[in-house]
Amino acid sequence: MFFLTYLRRELRRRMRQAIFIALGLAIGIGLVITVMGASSGVKAAQAKVLRALYGIGTDVTVTTKPKPPSSRPTTGQATGPGPGGNAGHATVCLNGKCYTSGTIDTLVSGDHGALSAVTAAKIAQLGHVSAAAGGLLLTDNRIVLPKTSSSQLQPPTSTSVDGTDIAHPKLGPLSNASLTKGRTFTTADADANVAVVDANYATAHKLKVGSAITIASKKFTIVGLVTQPQASSPPEVYIPLKRAQALATDPATGKSMKNEINTVYVSAASAADIGAVQKEIQHLLPQATVTSSSDLASEITGSAASAAKLAGALGKWLAVLVLIAAFAVASLLTMAAVARRVPEFGTLKALGWRSGRIVSQVLGESVGTGIIGGAIGIGLGFAGVAVIDKIAPKLSATVPAATSSGLQTSVAGPGGGGPVSGGGGPLSGASHATIAVPMSASVTLSAIVLAVLLAVAGGLLAGSFGGWRAARLRPAAALARVA
Amino acid sequence: MDISHGTVLPDQNPVYRLTQVSKIYRKGGREIPAVRDLDLEIRAGEWLAVQGKTGHGKTTLLQLLGGLDRPTQGRLDFGGADLAKAPESDVRKVRASSFGFIFQTFNLVPTLTAAENVEAALIPLGTRHADRRHKVRAALGSVGLSDRAQHLPAELSGGQQQRVAIARALVKEPRVLLADEPTGNLDEDTRDEIIALLDTLWRERGLTLILVTHDSAVARRAQRIGLMRNGRLSIRQDTRA
Repeated sequence: MFFLTYLRRELRRRMRQAIFIALGLAIGIGLVITVMGASSGVKAAQAKVLRALYGIGTDVTVTTKPKPPSSRPTTGQATGPGPGGNAGHATVCLNGKCYTSGTIDTLVSGDHGALSAVTAAKIAQLGHVSAAAGGLLLTDNRIVLPKTSSSQLQPPTSTSVDGTDIAHPKLGPLSNASLTKGRTFTTADADANVAVVDANYATAHKLKVGSAITIASKKFTIVGLVTQPQASSPPEVYIPLKRAQALATDPATGKSMKNEINTVYVSAASAADIGAVQKEIQHLLPQATVTSSSDLASEITGSAASAAKLAGALGKWLAVLVLIAAFAVASLLTMAAVARRVPEFGTLKALGWRSGRIVSQVLGESVGTGIIGGAIGIGLGFAGVAVIDKIAPKLSATVPAATSSGLQTSVAGPGGGGPVSGGGGPLSGASHATIAVPMSASVTLSAIVLAVLLAVAGGLLAGSFGGWRAARLRPAAALARVA
Repeated sequence: MDISHGTVLPDQNPVYRLTQVSKIYRKGGREIPAVRDLDLEIRAGEWLAVQGKTGHGKTTLLQLLGGLDRPTQGRLDFGGADLAKAPESDVRKVRASSFGFIFQTFNLVPTLTAAENVEAALIPLGTRHADRRHKVRAALGSVGLSDRAQHLPAELSGGQQQRVAIARALVKEPRVLLADEPTGNLDEDTRDEIIALLDTLWRERGLTLILVTHDSAVARRAQRIGLMRNGRLSIRQDTRA
């Protein structure tokens, strides 16, 4: 009671100084909260991208590198009239077969090599794994050959297709999607030619629930439309995994991918187990690429990554420097205040006060100032985060696209002998996608807890210097200052 | 009238017994003796006034007697304990329970009220809050400041502040009251008031009062008057029975 009365009175007496110290600490703490808020905003934006690619519940993905193509050509070659091609019709050669007319519609696996379908089951049995599901990330490539030699060869089209494991709806790209129309897959759909389509893709291609879409020359009925978060590059069409396996071709072997997958989505038992899961899978599959969300985050480039680096490096160090400066100023001012109060402490020692009691009084005052600074700092942190939310431009995130295919097809149109690329690039889906990521900074509970801890630490640090000076005073020496 | 030099008066029950006490300060390699080879006994209930010029060791002697500093050599017995050698925690406890200090500049904590300043003296004794309040009221009443209990020092006159300081010294019912120029900052009328108050309290409570002063008018009220010169004490007057 007396302790608090004395503390309150002293803070009031030195209000200007207390406010100065509190503001110094507040700026430091506010900056720490703002940087943490911005950093968590950037991380959240990155997480959105990653979740859309690999599913909300996925902690680890397992892939392998594609094998080199077999001796049989696995790539297509389209030639047209000209010095190096057949005069008259365009010809496309694919997997050893050449076509001069009709539509060539192939579903192929690209960037990732094939894994046995039982791989997912084996991974699911590992110690720290909660669940594992296989998937096929494919690209449906479609080339329509002209009926007559005079017709222009149309650029090929490609659609990203995800073969979804219906038994594990919480893993894989579809788990992050929101259903907007129709329904999602049920277990009864495992062998059915049904598809769930991304709403943006559906709009662009005038598709709706009940429409048909052609994948690998098979008609699939659209049963539902879904949307993925804005900051993502989702597959355009989802089909049941079994159907994808039946229709897909491995470009490395030219064979069907029946009983094969090219990605395993793994959920760890807990966040702390992710590292152990990675090690276990690596031990089980030495050739596999085992990637966690944090590994994937490091693959993101663009302004989102730059912002993450800025918040992580410059912001962090700036906050640390400001905090150190604030702590130093608080310590110096507290020591100066103690120096002015030497006669007062000398008198208290003459009255029989223990040094510890005097030190705790000084510490109490400093911690009180620190807590006031912390409270103001939290307010400043909220304000800083609000300002960032208001003025932050959209960040761009360039991510390794999960749906890319490795079909390297060069096409020569009938009008020329040289190869041309379809759709302005490789025929396959792009191996990287650039996405606009909205940044939404927020003050986290951990930032507030850290702010309180910093405030108390700042107060204790400042007070301990002053308290130490007060403690080592001899009463006679302190009283001599009065004289 | 110079009665003795470095006197040792035989006493059955002295509150203080100082034997060959010296205090030497060291500054820049030089030794500055503030108190030299002092032998002194002070009886319980005695009023000793110490006079002397500035820099001749009056305040140092008072600080040694109050356990605020330690002799460089010699023995300083208080109530059977040698304050020269006792651990600091023991000396602090003696300070907290047995000594009341009154300073020339009052030394009140400016942010605390009169009552809280008096209460501060009871904190080291661990007195319960209710008892503290009761004792503080009584102490302020004994110096005639019951109506100023909630005033801050800045709201009190010099005389009133010194009364608060006296109440603070007395609230713990000490055995010894040590006063360092208690009237040095007061006008003549207030000086007389404060000295009259100290006289009354000394007589009523049977305190041992050791008072350092320049003022001969104040010193004359003491039973014994000692003069400090170059760190040595000579007793000039002794009216003790």
